[in-house]
Order: sequence, then C-alpha cells, then structure tokens
Amino acid sequence: MAAFDFAPLIVLLPFTSFFVAVAAAIWRPNILPKGGALPGIAATAGSLLVSLWVAVEVLGGGRTAETVYVWSTGVGDAPELVFSLLLDPLSALMLLIVSLVATLVHVFSLGYMNDEDETGLPRYYAGLGLFTASMLGFVVAGNLLMAFIFFELVGLCSYLLIGFWFREAGPPSAAKKAFLVTRFGDYFFLVGVAGVFATFGSAAFAGPESFPAVAEAALTGEASVRTFGFGTQTWFSVLGFLILGGVVGKSAQYPLHTWLPDAMEGPTPVSALIHAATMVAAGVYLIARIYGFYALLPTVLAAIALVGGFTALFAATMGLVKREIKQVLAYSTISQYGYMMLGLGAGGYVAATFHLMTHAFFKALLFLGAGSVIIAMHHNEDMWDMGGLRKRMPVTYVTFLAGSLALAGIVPFAGFWSKDEVLYEALVHGLGGSPILLAAYGMGLVAVLFTGFYTFRMVLLTFHGDPRTELARNPHGVGWNVKAPLVVLGVLATTAGFLNMVPVHELLGFPPEYLHDWLAHDGGRSAFAGLTSEHYGELLHDWAGYSTVELSAILPGLVSLGLALLGAGGAYALYAGDDPEEHTEKLGAAKTVLYNNYYQDEYQVWLTDSVVKPLSRTMDTFDQGVVDGTVNTVSSVSLFSGRRLRRIQTGVVSNYAVLLTLGLTALVLVVGVLGGWFA
Amino acid sequence: MIDLALQTVPGVADGLLPAAVLALTALLLFGIDTINPKEDSLALLCGISVGGSLLALALAGSLLAAGYEATPVYGDALMIDGTSLFFTLVFASVTALVSVASYDYLRDQDYCAEFYALVLFAATGMSLMAAANSLATAFVALELTSLPSYALVAFLKTDEGSVEAGLKYFLVGALASAVLVFGISLVYAATGAMTFSAIAEAMVGAGDVAGVLGLGVVMIAGGVAFKMAAVPFHFWAPEAYEGAPAPVSGFLSSASKAAGFALAFRIFVGAFPVEMAVPMGVDWVLVFQILAVGTMTLGNFAAATQENIKRMLAYSSVGHAGYALIGLAALSAGGPNGNVLGASMAHLFVYGFMNTGAFLFVAMAEHWGVGRTLEDYNGLAATAPVASVAMTVFMFSLAGLPPFGGFFSKYVLFYAAVESGFWWLAAVGAVNSALSLFYYSRVVKALWFEEATVPLEIGRRPVGLYVSVLAAALGTLILLPLFGPVVETAQTVAAALF
Repeated sequence: MAAFDFAPLIVLLPFTSFFVAVAAAIWRPNILPKGGALPGIAATAGSLLVSLWVAVEVLGGGRTAETVYVWSTGVGDAPELVFSLLLDPLSALMLLIVSLVATLVHVFSLGYMNDEDETGLPRYYAGLGLFTASMLGFVVAGNLLMAFIFFELVGLCSYLLIGFWFREAGPPSAAKKAFLVTRFGDYFFLVGVAGVFATFGSAAFAGPESFPAVAEAALTGEASVRTFGFGTQTWFSVLGFLILGGVVGKSAQYPLHTWLPDAMEGPTPVSALIHAATMVAAGVYLIARIYGFYALLPTVLAAIALVGGFTALFAATMGLVKREIKQVLAYSTISQYGYMMLGLGAGGYVAATFHLMTHAFFKALLFLGAGSVIIAMHHNEDMWDMGGLRKRMPVTYVTFLAGSLALAGIVPFAGFWSKDEVLYEALVHGLGGSPILLAAYGMGLVAVLFTGFYTFRMVLLTFHGDPRTELARNPHGVGWNVKAPLVVLGVLATTAGFLNMVPVHELLGFPPEYLHDWLAHDGGRSAFAGLTSEHYGELLHDWAGYSTVELSAILPGLVSLGLALLGAGGAYALYAGDDPEEHTEKLGAAKTVLYNNYYQDEYQVWLTDSVVKPLSRTMDTFDQGVVDGTVNTVSSVSLFSGRRLRRIQTGVVSNYAVLLTLGLTALVLVVGVLGGWFA
Repeated sequence: MIDLALQTVPGVADGLLPAAVLALTALLLFGIDTINPKEDSLALLCGISVGGSLLALALAGSLLAAGYEATPVYGDALMIDGTSLFFTLVFASVTALVSVASYDYLRDQDYCAEFYALVLFAATGMSLMAAANSLATAFVALELTSLPSYALVAFLKTDEGSVEAGLKYFLVGALASAVLVFGISLVYAATGAMTFSAIAEAMVGAGDVAGVLGLGVVMIAGGVAFKMAAVPFHFWAPEAYEGAPAPVSGFLSSASKAAGFALAFRIFVGAFPVEMAVPMGVDWVLVFQILAVGTMTLGNFAAATQENIKRMLAYSSVGHAGYALIGLAALSAGGPNGNVLGASMAHLFVYGFMNTGAFLFVAMAEHWGVGRTLEDYNGLAATAPVASVAMTVFMFSLAGLPPFGGFFSKYVLFYAAVESGFWWLAAVGAVNSALSLFYYSRVVKALWFEEATVPLEIGRRPVGLYVSVLAAALGTLILLPLFGPVVETAQTVAAALF
C-alpha cells in the first residue's frame, strides 16, 4: 500500500507552498522567483502525481480508511474526534480532478497575474496554495467533522482570493458576500454535524461503524440511535436537510446562489478554481460522499432533485441576457451544478459524479479561455466590446469552442454524455414511480435549450463577426503559459465523456462504461461495500422507493441533443452576422427582470432590513435591558454590600473578638436548635 | 496513653521524615544563630532553608509516589498516610518558594536566621497538623504553627503596621485557641477519648450527651476555621496580611490556611464520621455549609471593593477558603466523599502556587518601592513585563479561567459537589467565581492597560523574588498537564480517610 502511505502528501504539499509563500511575503518579499508561482506549481504537480499513484492503487482494488491523528479522545461514551483519510474510487477521482485543475490554474496564473505585473503575488499564491490544500483535505476527509473543517477552510480561502484586489470597491464587498452567504448555509451544516454526532456517536464515512451504515441498520431495526423524540426516518431527514444547508450555500443552489455571480470580482484563474474544482464542487461532492445516508431519505432526495432542476433552469434564464463574459459563465456554473444536484436527487449517483468531472474540465477551460480573452482585451469583460477575436487568438478560440460545445451538450463533447446521463436517470426514475422527479426532469430539459442559446451567444459575440472596438482589433498577445493549460483542458473537454458513453454502450455493447465500473465495486474489501454505487442502488430501491423502467437511452439523448442544437441555432440566427444587434431589448420587461437576476439580491436585502434587523434590534434591547440590566444590578448590589462589609472591618481588635464570639454563638444556636440539643 | 518507648523501633518513623527534616533544618538554623548571632551570610541561611524544604518536598513526594501505607505512630498520636504526605508536599513547596523570595526581602533586615527558623518551625507544625491523629497533638501542632506565625507577622519590628498586625493576629489567635481547647475538653468530657478513632468508637454511646458533644464539635470547628480564615473567624486575616512582610503574607495565606484544612479534614472525617454524627444531631456538615457559603460570599464581595492590593488578596484568600470548605460541606453518608474531599485538597494544592505567587509579586513591588494601591500598579507591565506576565497568570488562575490550573481545580471541585448532590454549593461557588473575575481582572488591567501616573524607576531586579515568582507561575502552568495525576492522587488519599 505504498501509495496510500504517501497520500497525506497530496494535502501537505500545497499546504507547504502556502506556508512558503506566507513566510516569503512576511520576511523576504522578493526572494521567490515568480512571486511564489513556482513552489505552487511544483507542489500541485506533486499532488497530481501522488493522486495518480493513488488512483492506480485504487484501480488495483486498494481502499483505505485510516485515522491519521486523534485530536480529542472522548471521555466515557463521547465520540473521538479524528483526522482520517478515506481513499476510495470517488475520492481518488476527485483528487485527480482537483490537483489537475489546480496545477493548470497555477500555470495559467503565470500569464494572468505575473505577466500583467500584478502586485501582492506571494499573497495570491499563498491563497491558491491554501485553497488547493483545503479542497484536497476536504476530498480525502474520512469523517463529517473533518470534512466540515476543510469545508470552512475552503470558504475562507475563497473569501481571501475573491477579495484579492481589496483596494478596489467591488472585490471586498463580493468577498464578504460570498463569505456570509455560504456561512449562512454552513451554519445549518454545523448543526447537522453536531446532530450526527449526537445521533450516531460517530461521523465516519466508511466502515460498519460509519453513520450511513448505522443509519441503515437503525432503519431496519438492527441498531438503536437517539432520535430525540422524532420518528427515525423523520429525524434522519432533518439531519439530511441540515447538512444540505451547507451544500446549497457552497454549491450556489437556489436560494443561496447570489454570492456566485458577484464572486467574479476575483482574479479569473481563481474563478476557474472556484467553479471547476474547489468551492462550488465541494457541496455536490459532500452529497456524493455521504450518498449512503441520503439514499435512505426519499424526502430529502426529492428536495435535492427539485432544487437542482429549478436552479438549472432559473440560472440558465439569467445567463441569457448578460453582457460580461464572466457573468454568463457564472450563471452557467450555477445551472450546471443544478444538473448535478438533479442527478443526485434522482438517484443518478454515477451520472452526477460524471457530470462533476466533465464540468470541472470544461468549466475550467471556459474560465481560463475567458481569462485569456480578458488579458487580450486589457481587462475589459464586456462582450459587446469584443467580436472577431477568432482570427487573432486561434488557440483560445478553438479550445473555448470545445468547452462551449461541451457546456451546451453537443455530441460528442464531454458535457453531452454526462448531462444526458443525468437527465436520463431523472427520467427513468421519474417514470419508474417517482413522478415528482419528472417535474425536475422537465425543468432540466428546458434548461438545455437555454444553455445552448447563451453559450453560443457568448461564443458568437466574443469571437465572431467584426471587431467592435479598437481593443478587439489589436488584442494583447498571450503566452505559452496561457495556451498550454487551455490545450490540456481542451483535449479533456472533448474526450472525457468517452469514459462513460451510456447510449453508445447500449447500441454497440462497446466500449465499457468505465466510470460505472470504477464506482461500482468495493475492490473485494467488504468494509467499503457501503460506498459503492451498487450498494447505493440497493438503498435507493429499498428505502427511497426508486425503481427504473426499461427505457432506451438513445431517444432521450436525441431529445436533449435536439434541444441543445435548437438553442445554439437560435443564437446563431440572432447573433451570427458581422455586426450583431442587441436583441435583448425586445424582451421588454422580461429583460429587466432577467437583468436584475429576478431581484433575488433585492429581496434578500429586504428580508434583512425588514425581518432580521428588527429581530436583532429586539434581541439587542433584551440583551441591553434584561440581561445586562440583571448583571449590572447584581454587580452594583455586590459592590454596595462590599462597601458595607468593609465597615465591619473596623481595625479595632476587641470588635473582632466580639464578632467572632457572636458568630460562634449564632452557629451553636443554629446547629443546636436544628440538632435538638436543647430538647 | 502515649508510650514513647514503643516508637524507638527503627523504620516506623519513615513517613515522619519530611516533618523531621523540616524540624532539623529549623534547629540547624537556630544553632547557627546561637553560635554566631552575627552570622550575616544571607545566602547560607537561605540556602539551608531552601535545601531543607526541598529535601522534605522530595521525601514527601517519593513516599507518596511509592504509595505509602497508612501508619499510626507514637501510640496513635500521629497518623502518617497519603493525606499527611500530600499536605506536606504543599507546605514544603510553599516554604521553599517563600524562602527563596525572602532572600531579597531580608537583605536589609537583622535576625535573618530567626526568620528562616520561624518559617521552618511553622512548616513543621503544619505537617504535624496534617498528621494529627489525636486532639492533643492537633492542638500542640496548631500552636506550633501559630506561635512562629505571630512572630513572623510582627517581624518588621520598627514598622508600626507590622507590629500592630502581629498583635491583632495574636489576640484573635489566642481567643480562637481558647475556643478550640474548650471544644476539645467538651468532646473529651462526652467521649472520654483523645485519639480520633477512639472518639469515633465512643460516639456510639454518647447519644445522651449529644448536646455537650455537639457544642464541643462546633467549637473545634471554630478553632480550625480561625486557621482557615473562614468567616466569621477571618477578621485577623486582612490586617495580618496587610501588615506582615509580603512573603509572610503569602506563607500564611497559602500554607497556614492549607494546614487548617488538613487538620479539619483529619478531625472531622476521622473523629466524627458523617454517618454517625449527623443522625445524632451533631450536624457539623451544616456548620461547614454555613461557613462555606458565608466565606465565599463575604470574601469575594469584600475583595471587590478593595483598593489596596494586599487587602484585596487577603479577602480573595478568604474567598478561596470558602471554595475549599466545599470539601467538608458537601460530605454526606454514602456519598462520593473521597472525590469531594480530594477535589478540595487538589484545589488547595493549586492554590498554594498561585496565591503564594501573587503575594510574592506584591513583595517584589514593595521591594521596588511601588505603592500598595491598585493605582500604583498602573503600567507596571511596561517596566517589568516578565513578572507581570506571571502575575497575570496568577490572577486569571485565581479567578478560575481556563486554561490555568485554578480552572481545573475549581472545575473538579464544583463537579464533585454536583456529583454529591450539593449543586447549590457549586452554584454559589460559580457565581462567586464570576464575581471574583471582576477584581482579579482589575489588577491585570492596571498592569497592562493603564498608563503609569508617575514614571517608574526600578533599580535592581531581585533575583530571589524573580526566581520564586517564576517558579510559582511555572507551577501554576505545569499543573495544566499534571492536574490529572494531582487530582487522582488527592482523591485516592482522601478516599482512604473514610
């Protein structure tokens, strides 16, 4: 198990690069070549290599769940709090994704940050290093508390990086918003963690003592847990919803999605990292990680599917009218994570994981491509100032196009296969007796149309037609450090879908569905049998009542492909010419609503102003008046009586003798009367 | 009743070695003083004193670690067991600290050999109090502790405050001794016995003279309460601590107080077992409950309004006596008595370090000529940061803030009280602790956050005082990881008393 012995390095290497960058920033700001980029690249590349090694080991059947460090031993029955590693197919896959994207983002930063002569680079690379380390730590976490700790670290790092340009007005405010909104969700998560400990006495993910396993045993009556007076399944659902709060915040699902578009204020490579591999991915990964628990809870699953489907559609509509390239991408991210939630809620564990993976590649690609465009445009992000960049930036154009085709879900690019599988799972389970999933499916399907439209609107406005400004006529060139990551991701965005071609497999019986096989087995280790997609399938069937109908994957695949092409064609019809017009005005009032993001921010501000603030004021009055009042009264009474007591101490020794004697007499009287001495 | 001849058997006196070392050291100092009254090598005297107390500390520690078996010696007059050794440990530690600290304090004084000899005689008396197994030895040991203490308080013969304090202490002490000895005679009258085990046996037949016995018991409680400085027998404490040289104040408020508790634990647990005394109507637990609540409350309330640091510390030490009294007040027939009593012992142990340290800091301030009120301490941290850190540790630890030793000892004490069903005692203690934070943090605030009113010039850094203050701070801090073993030892030896 040599690879597993080195697994902690995956987390520790980027952490070291963080530490090196911080130390350099404090003591010798100029000592690091490239402002700390090189240690960062070396560390993340190291993590990538070890992740590959771990993946090979896992492929060979290796699995591990080991305690690394016990940081609190419980007294009596109290649970032990530990840091533990869980390496299984899911975490190995995610490690590969995260470390790969992080490495590429580091390389890209050389072009985006260093070559643009940004200041504060050690701080930037320190943030990237810690961000990567936190996410990798979250991925390998073997229990819920450790996951929560790293989840919070991820949130902290996104705050630091979104607010990187803290001297401008926008970024600090966006950073605060991201921090506070996700914190609101994490509050529920924290309560959920405490609840899991209180209920199961363990928060481990794997093994017979793990809380999903105990939950299953409790439902069959083989184990007893504390449910605080609720029905067992009801209480588990409460816990499931609490943890879901953290997921909704981090993965930017409705109604806590509002932070994500604002987070575009951060440097673009950071956006790539946040959207593709770290912050936003953390939420969905968490559900996948404890899917054995959620698979027991049909109510929560339905809620996840509905939230996912709704978010997918809702965010896609907002992406239709945006002017800035990164804004379009931001709403596409929200929408795509909606698909993943839909997949998880609809029982498509593999499909959702698949989409998590392909999305990581094509969304990282799109953001880095957008970053390349932004470099070229001297940090102007308005698509209406672009146009015609195709001829001037061929590498960026080709790779960006590959990413866009993947995002829109056009065959044979990666996004098609994964999104199609998510929708297929929702459809077959919906038809198989869970009609509520059909509603989520419907929303997801409509979103495909919109996705095709906004994606190609973005491509056409940016790269096609005639240049609309002087900037676009003479773009700034980009170097190898920008192109190389784009090419790597472009290849992956094109080909990653071949890992799991469900319709092709059905048609030809070939090639194998690699990802299904990867996630299905326990490698012959029964302790990990509870973490396989096979087991999840049984749980879904037994507890959530999910069953499938026999349905070919080909027809639904053609439907969603058709819708994507229709959306793309619509965009082409409207925006293809040399000098496209702004059609958004024709939407009338709808445009205003969409442009203002359905007034979500406004209504949340209204909620704060008219509900939260008055409540806080009442609490403050209570605190000042009653709590502080009591305390102040107590203290003034005690100070007053203290002053009185001082007077007894007269300094005259005969007074003391009298008081002593009287005191003794009083004692004798009290005890004597009570003890019946004088009877 | 006492057959000294029996005790010449070698080996029996093993457990008495620490006390014997203390006594011999005192005699050695006396000898030096007699032969050469002009001996003014302070280093030599201090060295002997510290060496003797450290030797006693090491002996007591090793005997305790070896699991010393309870051994009655001198015809049951003394009982050497875990409890006596545990307390000897406390006394020897405080004696060593105070001896080191006095090195600087005594630099310009005469009669230094006498000072050290008196300290060591008092320490001998204290370790005998902790080993007393008969009312007669208890009284003699108590007087052996008290008489040197009076002289020590009045040690600064030319200082009016010191002399006045010594006289007041002596007068109140004489009254308390009279009460104690009257109590002893009443108990003897009711039971016809002096050794604790004999009294316990005789109590069975003393039902018809319960009133006499009860009166004696309450008076004995009053006598030992004087040593503990428990309300209403505490009046001497603020005066004596204020007037006495600061190291002596530290010595009295830590070691002498602990000795009072040691004696009380011995007498009341050994001679008047709860399960027998309470049904007879001799409810001494009630006595201690009243004393505990009164002492905690009055001590802390009075401390809150003091401006003079030494008086503030004096009242705070009265308050701490109240906490420690929970050890006796929360006893019940069949309850987890060992835990309660042990927790109280552990608290006294921690208290020995933090309280002595606080008084020694005051001694250092006096040495520098800093005034005695809180205001005079303003901005002291700027000139003496290391010592101020130590003082901060003492203050927070006395207040019972985590993560200092005082937090753990109070926590265990209150927890044990709750465990025995006396949650209200723990509640009173907790409320008082919260109040105490007010006046302790005033000191910290003055040290660190206030601006000095007059620019402070401190001359020499007194080596001895620094060493002892830092040693006490270290002790308070080392008790974080070591508190587990300390409380376990204390609870084990306490459980052996029942």
